[in-house]
Amino acid sequence: MLIEIKDIYKIYHEGKESEVRALDGVSLSIDRGEFVAIIGASGSGKSTLMNILGCLDIPSYGDYILNGTDITHRTDRQLAHIRNREIGFIFQGYNLIPALTAYENVELPLIYQGISIFEREDRVMAALEKVGMADRWKHRPSEMSGGQQQRVAIARAIATHPPIIMADEPTGALDSKTGKHVLEILHSLNQEGSTIILITHDNGIAATANRIIRISDGHIIADGTREEVGL
Amino acid sequence: MNITQAIKMSAKSIFSNKARSALTMLGIIIGLAAVIILVSYAQGQNLAMQRYYESMGNNKINVECYGWSNEDISQALYDYCLSLDNIAGISPSGRINSSPPVKYGSKTLSPPDYSSMYIGGGAAISIGGSSGVVDNYPTISLGNDQFALCNDYKIAEGRDLSYLDVKNGSQVCVLGSATAEALFNFADPIGQTITISGMPFRVVGVYESKAGKSTGGTEESQWIEESIARLDRLILLPSAMTRYFNDNQPITSYVVKVNASKDIPLAITNLSNFLKARLGEGMFSVYSESVWQDQQNEASKMQQNFLGGIAAISLLVGGIGIMNIMLVTVTERTREIGIRKAIGAERRSIIVQFLIEAAMICGIGGLFGIAVGYIGTLIVGKLSFNTILIPSPGVTLGAAAISVALGIIFGMYPAIKASGLQPVVALRAD
Repeated sequence: MLIEIKDIYKIYHEGKESEVRALDGVSLSIDRGEFVAIIGASGSGKSTLMNILGCLDIPSYGDYILNGTDITHRTDRQLAHIRNREIGFIFQGYNLIPALTAYENVELPLIYQGISIFEREDRVMAALEKVGMADRWKHRPSEMSGGQQQRVAIARAIATHPPIIMADEPTGALDSKTGKHVLEILHSLNQEGSTIILITHDNGIAATANRIIRISDGHIIADGTREEVGL
Repeated sequence: MNITQAIKMSAKSIFSNKARSALTMLGIIIGLAAVIILVSYAQGQNLAMQRYYESMGNNKINVECYGWSNEDISQALYDYCLSLDNIAGISPSGRINSSPPVKYGSKTLSPPDYSSMYIGGGAAISIGGSSGVVDNYPTISLGNDQFALCNDYKIAEGRDLSYLDVKNGSQVCVLGSATAEALFNFADPIGQTITISGMPFRVVGVYESKAGKSTGGTEESQWIEESIARLDRLILLPSAMTRYFNDNQPITSYVVKVNASKDIPLAITNLSNFLKARLGEGMFSVYSESVWQDQQNEASKMQQNFLGGIAAISLLVGGIGIMNIMLVTVTERTREIGIRKAIGAERRSIIVQFLIEAAMICGIGGLFGIAVGYIGTLIVGKLSFNTILIPSPGVTLGAAAISVALGIIFGMYPAIKASGLQPVVALRAD
C-alpha cells in the first residue's frame, strides 16, 4: 500500500459547544497507480481529507502510513521533505507565486530539493513541455489565462517526479473545455505510473476515475468503482 | 537549500516586487536622512557657540576690586594664586584708559571716528570698509607673563612677556596676529619698535590667530566670527605700564585660570576669602563667565536633546512607515509562504530567505539614507552656518542600525508568523 490511514479524526474546537468533526474516523488505503476521486458536497470533509493525505495539515487523531512508514508524528521539517519529494499538489486557485515567472514557479520545488541548476533547467522545461506551456516559460501568472496557470501548476507538481499527485478541484475555476484538457493531463500522468488523488464535487469528472470515494459529514459512505458507488 | 540559493531567491523576490521594495527603501531613506540632518544641525549650532567660548578661553574666573583701596594687591594676589594647586595662572586684565594712536614708521592705527557712527541713543553700529572707516584699532591690554595662559593665546613668533618684563616695566609688547599684520604686513615684526602715545615699545612676540577660516553665514555666527576676529586685534603691554597710561592707578581687575572647570567653585571661594581679608566685604567681586557659559552649554544641550527627540520621532515615523509596508503585504506573503511550504520548503529556508531579503532592502535603503543624510547635512551646514558640516559617525551609525534593525524585524515578521503555521492555514490567508 502506498497510502494507508487509520481512524483519522480532524476535530476543530474540540470539547467546546462549537465542536466540528471535519473527519470523523476515516480509514482508507490507496495503492500505487490508482486514480482515485474523492467526492462529496461542500463541507463534507473532502478537502480536509486531502489536506491530511497531502501532509498540508495534521489530523487530531489517527495514524498515517505512507509507503510503509508511519509518518503520523513526523516533525515539521520531515513533513516538508515528504511534501517536496512524495507529493505534487494542484489547487483550485492554482497557487502560483504572482511575482515569479512560469519557469521560476516550476523551479521552486526543485530548488527546495537541492537539485543543481543544470538539472533543474532540464526538468523545468520537460515539465512545462508536458503540459504544453514550454513557450510561456517567461510569463508571469497575471499574463496567463486560468487554464494556462493551472497547467503551469501541474508542471510544478510533476517537476519533482512525485509518486503521488493530489488535485483539489483542479478544474473548478476553469471552463469545461480547458477543464477537460487538465483532466486529460492527469490521466496521462496516471498512465505513466503516478498515483492520482482528485477531489471534486463534479460527478462527471469523478466518473473518469477508476475508484471513487464518496464522503459525507466526515465519514466515507461509499468506496469503489463507478458502478459500485452508483455514479 | 543552501545560502547562495537563498540569496538568489531573495534577490528575485526583491526585483519581482519592485514597488514594494522601493517603498520599503523609501521609508528607511526618509527616516534615516531626517535623523542625520536634524541631529547634525543641532551639533552645528553648538559647534559655532563652542568655538566662540574656546577662543575666549575656558575655565576663567574674573576678579574685580572696587573702591580705591590704596593697597595695590597685585603682587599679593599673584603670590596667593600661584600657591593654590587648582589655579593655573593669574594675569591682570586691565586696559589703558585712552585710545592713543599706534604708530610704526609711516603707518598709524587710529581709533575709528565714532562720532560719525552714533545713532540716537548712542548704539554703535559697525560700518563696513566702504565708509572709509576700517576698524583695525587694537585693544591695548595690560597683562603679565600669564596673560596668554589665562586668555588662551599662543605665541606664533618671538617670545611672550616674561616675569621680568612685568616686574621691571620693560618697554616691550606682544601683538595679536591682526595687529601685527595691520602694522607690518608681511615684514617680520620681531625686534621692531612701535610707538603708543609717543612711547616706544619693542615688539618681542606675535600671538597665533584665533580666527577660523570661514566668515559669513547666519547673523549669529557672523557675530561670533566678528567677536573672535576682534581678539586678534591686540597689543599686550606689561601691566606695570599702568603707571604711564592710567595715571598710576592700580590694576583692579584680574583674570584667573583654573585647571579644570570643576575647580571653579572652590577657586572662587578661596579668592573671595582672600580678598575679604584684604579688602573687606563688598569691595570686590569674583565671578566666572563659565557659569554663564555653562548655562549656554546647558541650553544648547537642551536644544540638542530637543532635536534628538525630533530625530527619534522621525525615526519612529520612518520605522512605522517601514512596518506598515511590511505588514500590508503580510497577507500576500502569508499565502506565498503557504505555497512554498506546500511544495516542500522547510521553515528554516523561508525564514532565511525573508531575513536576507529584508537585510538587502534595508541595507541598500540604509546606504541611500546615509548618502541623502550626508548631502542634506552638507547643504544645511552651508546654508545655516556657512561651514562644512559633517554628521557624526556615532549618530549616523546609530540611526542606520536602528532603522535597518526595524526593517529587518518587520520584514521577517510574516516569515516568522506564517512559516510556523500548517501550510493549509497559511494558504487560506486572505
